[in-house]
Order: sequence, then C-alpha cells, then structure tokens
Amino acid sequence: MAVPALLQTVVADMRAPQFMMSSRFRSVLPLLAAVALLATSTAHAANAKLEQIIAPVPHSTADHSKFKELNREFKNGPEVTKACLTCHTEAAKQVQHTKHWTWEATDPKTGKVRGKKNIINNYCTSPVSNENDCMACHAGYGWKDDKFDFKAEQNVDCLICHDQTGTYRKLPGFAGHPVYKRVEFPHGSGKFVEAVDLKKVAQSIGMPTRSNCGSCHFFGAGGNGAKHGDLDSSLQHPGKYLDVHMDEKGLNFSCTTCHATSHHEVSGSRYDTAAAVKGPAHIRGKKDESPASCQSCHSNKPHHEAMLNQHTDKLACQTCHIPEYARNQIGTEASWDWSQATTMGPDGKPMARKDSAGRRAFDSKKGAWEWDSYVIPEYRWYNGYSDYKVIGDKIDPSKTVQINEVGGSANDPDSRIWPVKVHRGKQPYDKVNNYLTVQHTAGEDDSALWHNYDWQKAITAGMKAANLPYSGEFGFVDTAMTWPITHMVAPKGDALGCAQCHSKNGRLQGIEGIYMPARDSNRWLDLIGWTLVVLTLFGVLMHGALRIYSSRKKG
Amino acid sequence: MLKVITGFLVGMAVAALLIYKLAAGMMFREVPSQFGMEETVARIQQNVLHAGNGWSLSGLRNAAKPIEMSGGNVLPVMMIEACSTNYSAPILKDDSLRFLSNLMPCKISVYKKNDGKTYIGLMNAELIGGLFGSKVGDIMSKVAADQAKFIQFDASQPAPAMIKNAPAASGGSGAAADGGC
Repeated sequence: MAVPALLQTVVADMRAPQFMMSSRFRSVLPLLAAVALLATSTAHAANAKLEQIIAPVPHSTADHSKFKELNREFKNGPEVTKACLTCHTEAAKQVQHTKHWTWEATDPKTGKVRGKKNIINNYCTSPVSNENDCMACHAGYGWKDDKFDFKAEQNVDCLICHDQTGTYRKLPGFAGHPVYKRVEFPHGSGKFVEAVDLKKVAQSIGMPTRSNCGSCHFFGAGGNGAKHGDLDSSLQHPGKYLDVHMDEKGLNFSCTTCHATSHHEVSGSRYDTAAAVKGPAHIRGKKDESPASCQSCHSNKPHHEAMLNQHTDKLACQTCHIPEYARNQIGTEASWDWSQATTMGPDGKPMARKDSAGRRAFDSKKGAWEWDSYVIPEYRWYNGYSDYKVIGDKIDPSKTVQINEVGGSANDPDSRIWPVKVHRGKQPYDKVNNYLTVQHTAGEDDSALWHNYDWQKAITAGMKAANLPYSGEFGFVDTAMTWPITHMVAPKGDALGCAQCHSKNGRLQGIEGIYMPARDSNRWLDLIGWTLVVLTLFGVLMHGALRIYSSRKKG
Repeated sequence: MLKVITGFLVGMAVAALLIYKLAAGMMFREVPSQFGMEETVARIQQNVLHAGNGWSLSGLRNAAKPIEMSGGNVLPVMMIEACSTNYSAPILKDDSLRFLSNLMPCKISVYKKNDGKTYIGLMNAELIGGLFGSKVGDIMSKVAADQAKFIQFDASQPAPAMIKNAPAASGGSGAAADGGC
C-alpha cells in the first residue's frame, strides 16, 4: 500500500468511535503523521538510491576491459593471445591437448588416428591441401599447410570461443585469422566484411555461448545446417518447440551446460559418444567429467510409467524425444554429388543455382546438393563407437562406401537404438588404388578445383599433399556418412507415440534383432492365439446352443 | 409387397452407409509429391501464376507456425492460397451465393507425413460445387480443371524459388485483398 493511503487509513481508524483519545493527543497526531511520512519517504528514497547504485550482477567475476594488458590496440590475433596468456598462463597448453586444436582423435580400439585432419568425409572431403579455407574453423591462427607450428602458444585462438561481441568472424581463405582489413567477401560479390576490432573483442570476452560454438558447428560443410541437421543457426535463439533445453525463454541452456569442459576439453565428442548411460543421475563434477548425456540429469528411469522406463535399455532417449530434426526451413543437406562439379552453364561459364528455399542446389565448383527439412531420422543400433575411414583406407567401389560405420547390435548391452542422419554423397576415388582421393579444391592457384575446374590437377595436388600415391585414374563412388542425432529435443508432449514404432511400416521397421509387438509376428504364436480365439468362440456358441436346446426340452 | 419394401429399405440403408463412409474421401484428395516441401510449394505457386484464367496467389500460410509459437511441434503444413477473380466474382455478386465466400480463396495444402514424404491436399471443387446448383457447379468444375494443372510438375525444369512474401504470408487476412479475392 502506498504511504499516503496508509496514513489516511490510520487517521480514519483513529477517528472511529472506539478510538477515543484526549484532545492533547489528537493535537499531536498531525505531527506524528508527518514524522512517519518523512521517515518512510526517506527509507524509500534510500532504497531507490541503493538500487541505482548497485549494478546488476555481472556474469563474470572479471571485467576484462579493466585489464591494462587488454587496453591497447592489437595488430593480429596472436598478439591478443599473448595478452590473454599473461594471466591465463596454462590455457593455451590445455587447448593444445584438445581435438579443437589437433583435429585428431585416436580410436581406442584400433589405435587408428581419426579426426578432421585424417578422415575424408562426404561433404567438403578433406582439409588437407585446403587448410587456408578450412581452418576458418580451427581454434588457432595460421594453419595453412603442413608446416603449422602446433606448439606455438600464441597460435591458439582464444577469441573464437570467448568473444561476446558477436563481431569476431573467421572467413575461409585466411588460415584461421579474422580479417584485419576490410575485405570483399566472397571475392567479386560486392559485399564487404569490416576489419575486426580486436581491442573491443578482447575486452568483452566471456564463457562460450551458443553463438560461439555455433559459429563453426552451425555452419559446418560451408552452409547453415548443412552438416549435422540437428545444429543450425535457429539454435541461437530457439523457442521451446525447437529445443526444450535451449529454449531462450525457458531453461536457455548454453552448449557447455551439457558439454561441460575440463581443462578446455569439451565433453561429448562424436568420436566418443556416451550411447548407453546407465544408472541414476549424477552430480556434476563428482562422478565423471562427461555429463553430455540425457541420463546425467534425468537418470535412465526418468518416466513415471514403468512401461516407458523398460524401454531405456533398448532405446536412446533421443529416439522418442527428437521425432524430427532440422525442424525449420533452414533444413539440412541430404546429399552432395561431387560428380556434377565442373559442369558449366549453357554459356560454358561456371554457374550456381539455389533450391526453392534459397539453399545451394548446384555450383559448378562443388556439384549438386539435395536438402530436406523436418527430417524423419533413420535409426541404427549404436554403442557410441564409430569406425571411420581415414585417408588411404581401401574401399570397395562396387558398394556404397560407409565413411563411418556405427557400432552396435541388439545383442550388445551397451547399444541403444539411436536416431541418425545419413548423408549420402558421390565423391572421387582412385580407380586403381581403390581409396577415396584427397583433392585440392580451395585457392587461387592453378591446381585448385574451384579455380581451374580440372579434376585431374586437383586430385594430383591433393594426393601429393596427403603423401598418397595416385594412379592418375579417378571415378566417382557412392558414399554414406552417419551422424547420431542428439540436439533439437522436443517438449515431452511431442515425443513419439507407441504406434509410431509399434506398427507395420513404423519408424523402427529396419531395426533388427528385437521382437516388437505390432511390428513383428511369429507364425506359431499367431496360430496358437487364433486357435484360442476360435475355440473360445466355439465354446460360447456351443454353450448357448446347449442351453437353448435344454430349455426347449424342459418346456 | 413386404419383400419389395424391405429390399428398398435395405438398399437405402446400404446407400446411406456407403455415402457416410466414402463422402469424406470424395470431398478431398491427397496426392503424394515427388519433391520436398519447399519445392512442391514453389512449383505449385509457379503453376498458379502461369495458369491464366485470372488466377493469382493470395497467400502462403504455415499452419504449423502458431503451434511452434506455443511451444509444440507438428510436421510442416504449408497452405497455398490462390484466387481467380474470373471465378469468384460471379459467386460474390449473387446474394444467394455469397455465403460461399467461406470457401475462398482456394487452398492447396502441402504437408509432410510420418513416412517422411510430402503430400498435396486438395478440395474436390467439382464435387462440392455440384452440391450448390448448376451455376456454382459450372464454375467449380472449371476451378477443378485448373487445380489439376496446379499439381502437374515438369521435373526437367529447375526448382523455382518459393514465394514467401505473397500477400498474407505472415498470417494476416487483410492483405489477402491484394491477391484478388
């Protein structure tokens, strides 16, 4: 209640018959009221002033704009890193042990060294010989060829993950550096990218946001949503429908809420997926360092209905709770056909075409793409292990080459049925040596495919950079790459219903090794069941008939 | 005589049952599309624009959007609204038929189902038009003929761009006036 109104009420109450008092006391009432009013007003004013004085609680315990090391102009990214390392002395060493830096990941089963640097995918294929472009997504500066110094601490890029201004961009063609001068990008487009203000960026750093991670992971394979399907720029400001955890007006999780880091190593890599986490939810930081699983918070018995909980030993949470991925018109790339690259337009010149939703559909440099949105996943048994083809691995070109084969089966207790995106491709291979080729695509030199449109030169240069023999004969082979889907978790009301799997031609039609009621049938079981039905019917009819007969006989 | 009456009544009952069971399916058609959502929408839009007979696009609505805004999910549903003044004007001029404005503009829905495929949903304009007399029946039979052309696609032609900013694309109704109805 406001103070004047409160006073009016008090005075009115005192005037009431039951509140009789002496005339002397009544005479001092206005004075008392004035004092009370003054005291109350002063307290309110003091509170208001305090609220104005006390600034809102900042996210960080340190205001980096107050650090003298950062209060100067920087010529380039490595200079900023040196300044960061004056306080964060061990940060670069930590980063240098992560996949974000090495682009390598060792297969725990075979010892094979995988990682972006070593596998050939069916999107852009390989960064080898194309480092100048691809390293726009490397957490470092200057990786343009095999001479890159992985030990130089100043080459670590702190800003790509910690920038809070949203102005720090790394473009293809600059070997992982941001642009220090205003440049036209893409070349010849008439569009310009302004030089980065390194001082401003360095002074405003903070914990990684969805936009930081998304600057690479939303735009993998050179297009918004192209690579993953469950990661695209719509997750910068998602609604509840799109991701119940990242909902900007709700839980508003950042990527690192689940992908918690330890010593700069981000948990939850696709090279080391927690496919079947068992047991109760655990307290972060107490039990393990990898909370990047649903069960970390929800346990493996999260439902009120016991029947649903019985499913968790066969189904990944994602199978029911991500009914579709790429749930927007950004969509995701379904296939990339490299065999159509170097096809020119009717005038003999390079051409490009977009699809109905404005996404890349054809480019003489890169070939043809197909896209889809609101995609119904495919489903696979998955135990968290994927066997990747690396550069030089033999292939059988008579079959579709699996870039990665996800491990798991119905008999494997660590396997669950997972939703996956399967990206189809058609890409070059060495017809004599039978392995996928590395091609030099990006660049302005004469051997770059996107410059000279000559496959032979591009493959020769790429294979030389990869230190692999090349027979000189190439063809195109069908490939497939499988991506477990784990983002874009829908609200629980939108989870799959029983009949979407437990039916003929349901979602899990292709899943083998388990008996699913309503999907599967057993001849003998069916025969026994129908026999029982017929016998029951026969018994009922016989019983009725006998009763009619006996009643007529009595009558 | 009893047999005749019984036979007649049984025939009536069977006919009523058939109508009850089949009418819904006859009123509307569902056709699978060989293309994805956006391309199907874009190709229908182009066909509408090139159909002649006064056809224009009145709007493009995303029926799934309001559900998303309220925090839920449904598979995408896009509704292409098209109108021909050649066909709408004679109906709207007739006071006894103006209530049929409920059916305007013509809607063609494009949606995805759980099999991952894209489908086109159409009203059987000829059948429904026939329920309202010869004048409406004649007009709607022409609408039906044009509708059939809207969903004929030439796959050899590259995918056109989807027209997102057609009037009423954002869901407003007033803007649809520019579209012709």
